[in-house]
Amino acid sequence: MTAHRYAGATAIAGIGATEFSKRSGRSELQLAVEACTAALDDAGLEPHRVNGLSTFTMETNPENEVMRSLGIPELTHFSRIHFGGGAPCGTVQFAAMAVNEGVADYVLCYRAFNERSGRRFGAGVQERPAGATAEEAQFAWTSPYGLLTPASWVAMFATRLMHEYGVTSEDFGRVAVADRRHAATNPAAHFYGAPITLEDHQESRFIVEPLHLLDCCQETDGGQALLVTTLERARDLRQAPVVVEAAAQGMADDQQMMRSFFRDSLVGLPEMGVCARQMWETSGLGPDDIQTAVIYDHFTPFVLPQLEEFGFCGRGEAKDFITGGAIEIGGRLPLNTHGGQLGEAYLHGMNGIAEGVRQVRGTSVNQVGGVDHVLVTAGTGVPTSALVLGRE
Amino acid sequence: MTTTGSETGAPITDRVRELVGRSSPFNTARDAVNEAMIRHWCDIIDDANPVYTDASTASASVFGGIVAPPAMLDVWDKPGLHLTRDPSNPQSAALNLLDAAGFTSTVAVNSELEFARYLRPGEWLHSTLTLEEVSDEKQTGLGTGHFVTSRLSYSVGDELVGTVLFRVLKFRPGTGRARSAAEKPGPDPDPALRPRPAINRDNQYFWDGARAHELRIQRCNECGEQYFPPMPRCRRCGSLSMGYRVASGRGSLYSFAVPHYPQVNGFRYPVLVGLVELEEGTRLVSNVVGCRREHLRVGMPLELCWLDSHPASADGAVDSRGAISLPQFRPARAARHTETRRADAVAPGDELPLCPIPLTTTLIAGGALATLDYFDAHHDRDMAQQRGSKDVFMNIHTTLGLCERYVSDWAGPEAWWRALRVRLGAPNYPGDTMTMTGSVTAVDQGSGEATIVFRGTNGLGDHVSGTAELTLPASERSIGAAR
Repeated sequence: MTAHRYAGATAIAGIGATEFSKRSGRSELQLAVEACTAALDDAGLEPHRVNGLSTFTMETNPENEVMRSLGIPELTHFSRIHFGGGAPCGTVQFAAMAVNEGVADYVLCYRAFNERSGRRFGAGVQERPAGATAEEAQFAWTSPYGLLTPASWVAMFATRLMHEYGVTSEDFGRVAVADRRHAATNPAAHFYGAPITLEDHQESRFIVEPLHLLDCCQETDGGQALLVTTLERARDLRQAPVVVEAAAQGMADDQQMMRSFFRDSLVGLPEMGVCARQMWETSGLGPDDIQTAVIYDHFTPFVLPQLEEFGFCGRGEAKDFITGGAIEIGGRLPLNTHGGQLGEAYLHGMNGIAEGVRQVRGTSVNQVGGVDHVLVTAGTGVPTSALVLGRE
Repeated sequence: MTTTGSETGAPITDRVRELVGRSSPFNTARDAVNEAMIRHWCDIIDDANPVYTDASTASASVFGGIVAPPAMLDVWDKPGLHLTRDPSNPQSAALNLLDAAGFTSTVAVNSELEFARYLRPGEWLHSTLTLEEVSDEKQTGLGTGHFVTSRLSYSVGDELVGTVLFRVLKFRPGTGRARSAAEKPGPDPDPALRPRPAINRDNQYFWDGARAHELRIQRCNECGEQYFPPMPRCRRCGSLSMGYRVASGRGSLYSFAVPHYPQVNGFRYPVLVGLVELEEGTRLVSNVVGCRREHLRVGMPLELCWLDSHPASADGAVDSRGAISLPQFRPARAARHTETRRADAVAPGDELPLCPIPLTTTLIAGGALATLDYFDAHHDRDMAQQRGSKDVFMNIHTTLGLCERYVSDWAGPEAWWRALRVRLGAPNYPGDTMTMTGSVTAVDQGSGEATIVFRGTNGLGDHVSGTAELTLPASERSIGAAR
C-alpha cells in the first residue's frame, strides 16, 4: 500500500470542548460554536483564518451557521462523514487530506449535541416512514421484533462473543471498571470521583441482556472541536503539534449499520480490521509501538474485538489481555485514560481524539509515561475510522 | 385446637379432621383396562410410544405385550359423566363440609403416582381412598383455604398395583392475594403497536410472503445464489433478476438479545429477540416465542410460526398500509428417542431437550374427556367463565399425561416407570404454550434407577413441576439384545 501523503505532514493543533453535562441549558449550535472557539483559543488562532469545517452527517449544526457565528469569512472545504459514531477519526482524516492538498489551511472538526436533554439515541428507532429509502428499510429487519436501540444491536454480538470465546459479563465489566477508574481522577468527567467495582457492574440492571447498565456509555450534552492544519503551520501555533501519523476509514464485506448479523462470523470487527491494516501498512507502525489507546467504548463488548483487530492480542484472547490488567494505568496498554465514553462523556468519540492529543502533549490527567504514539478508534459495528497520533 | 367437634358450631377444621384416617369402600372401574381408551389417550396426549398401542412391538419389548400408560393409573376407575359424591367416601365428605363452610373453590395441587407394576388390557382395577390430612387454614395466592390430602390404593384382585397421593386446595373465592399496588403499568403489549417495517421495492417480496405466511429467502433467478438481506443485483453473477424461495421454517438460534429497556408499546418485556440461522443457510432476526429467557441457548432448534401483528383493519377502519405478519420462531419439539437410554449413558445434570406444547382448546377439552374428567370448566368455555375462569383450563390428568410423554420421549420406549409426582401452579389456558424442561438429578448405575426433575411453564408462570422416577436398562444385555 502506498503511503497516505497527509500522514506525518499534518497535525492537530488545537482542542476545545464545552463542559460535559446532562443538561447544557443552551442550543446545540451554541455548544458547537463554544467548542470551536475553545479549540481556536487553545491553538492561538484567529477564527477568520479557518477555511474548512468537517463533521458528521448526524450533526445538526450546519457549517454555514457555525461559520457565521465564528466569524469565518469564507470556507473552501466542508465535508461530512456518515454512519454516526464511525465518523470522528474520519473527520480528522478528511481535514488532514484537505490541508495537505492545499484546498484549505485550517480545518475545524466538530461535534456538538444535547444528546441527554434533547434527542436521546438510547430511546431507539421506533417509527420509520413508509415509502422507505434503502437506509430506512434496513430497520425493517430488526425494529418490528423489538431490537430498537444501539444497545440491543450490540447485545446480539455480545451473546455470540460469549458463546464462541467464553467471554463473560465480568470480562465486559472489567472494561467499565477501568474506564470509571480513569474517569474518577478526571475533573472534566461526569463520573469524576465516582469509580465502580466489578460487583457494581454485575449488580446494575440489565438494559439489553447480556448488557448491564454499566456496560453502556453515558448520554451527554456537550461539544468537542479539533483544529487540523499542516505540520508546518502547526509549528507556528501555541501548542506543540500532535502529528497525524496514520488515519483510515473502514467498511467491510456485507456491512450493515451496527447490525452486520448476516456475516459468517460475528466475533470480529472486519471494518476495524480494514482500518488497522491501512494504518499499520502506511505508517510502518505496529501494535508494539503504541503506548496507550482510546478504544471506542459506546458498549463494553466491542472493546474486545478491537484489541484483536489491531493485533494487541490474538483472536479470542482479549478477555485474557484485559483480565491480566493490561488496560489499567501501568499496564501494557492503558485504555481510555480520560474515562472513555462510559466515564468522561459520550461525545460520539470526538472527546477520545482530544484525549489522544493530551497523551501526546503530556497533559492528560492520567498521563502515561513515554508516549510516542497513541491509537484512537471510532464507533464499532458501524463503518468506522481510526487514527494514530504522535509526537513530531 | 379444640377436642371433639361433631356438634355443630365446632371449628370447621376439627369437624373435617374427624374424617382423617377413614377409608372408602372399594370402588370398581366401570370398564376393564382396554386398548380403545389407551389409543384415545395416546392420540390426545400425542404419545407415540408403541408399547401402548402396537402389539408386535410391545410383545418384543421388556413389557412382553401392550401395557397401559402409567399416567392413566387413576383414570380407569373414574365415574365419567355422572359424577356423584359418595358420602361414604371421606374425601367427598370432607369436600362437602368445606363447601358448606364457604370454601367452595377447588383446585388440584399435587398428584403423586407410584407404580408397583404396569397394567394390561383386560385387567379390572379397583381402588380405595383414605383421607390422610386436612391442613390448617392457610393463605395462598388463590385464597384462604385448606389442603385436603388423600391416598388412593389401586389393586387388581388382591394385588396392589399402585398408589396415588392426591392433594386439593379448597379455598374461599375472592380471598387471593391482591396484586402489588407498586406494580407499575407497563407498555401496551398489543403487537399492532410495534414499529411497522418500512417496505419498499427491494424488500416487498418478503412482506408479501409474510402476509401469506411464507418465509421467503431472496434468490437469484439466474444462478440461484441466495441473500439476506436482499439486494437488487446478484453480486455473484450480476443478474438483476431476483426472485425468492420459500424457507422450510426450520432453523436454530445463532445468537440472541433480551431487551429490558427502554420499554415501548407493542412488546411484553423482557423481549426475546433471536438471530435465527435457517437450514437454508441465511439468517434473520426474529422473536423467540413459546419459551422464557432461561430456556434460550445458542444452537437450540427452532421452528417457524407467525404473528399477525398489524391487521389490515381495526375498529372498522381500514389501514391503507395493509396488514403485516411477522415471522416468529418457537423451540422445535425434539424427535422421540426410539432407543431406550441406558443408565450408563445418563448422568446427573444431563438436560432433557426443551419441548413446547401448544395449548389448544382441543387438547384441553379432549384431554379431560380422554381421562374421563367431565368437570365442565375443562371443556365448556361458558361454564368455565361462569365459574370465574377466563377460559377452559387443563385438568391434572392431561398434565400428568403430558409430563409422562415428555420424559418418555427422552428416556425411550422401554424405560420402566416407578413414580410420577407433580405439583400444579398456574393454569393452562388455550392459546398459550407450555414449555417443558427437565434434567437428570440422580442415576444408580447398579439398579438403573434414574430420577428426572421437570417443569412446564406457560405465559403465567409454572404450570407444573415434578419428578419422574424410572428404571433404565443398566447394561447392553438387559435390553434390546434379546430381540
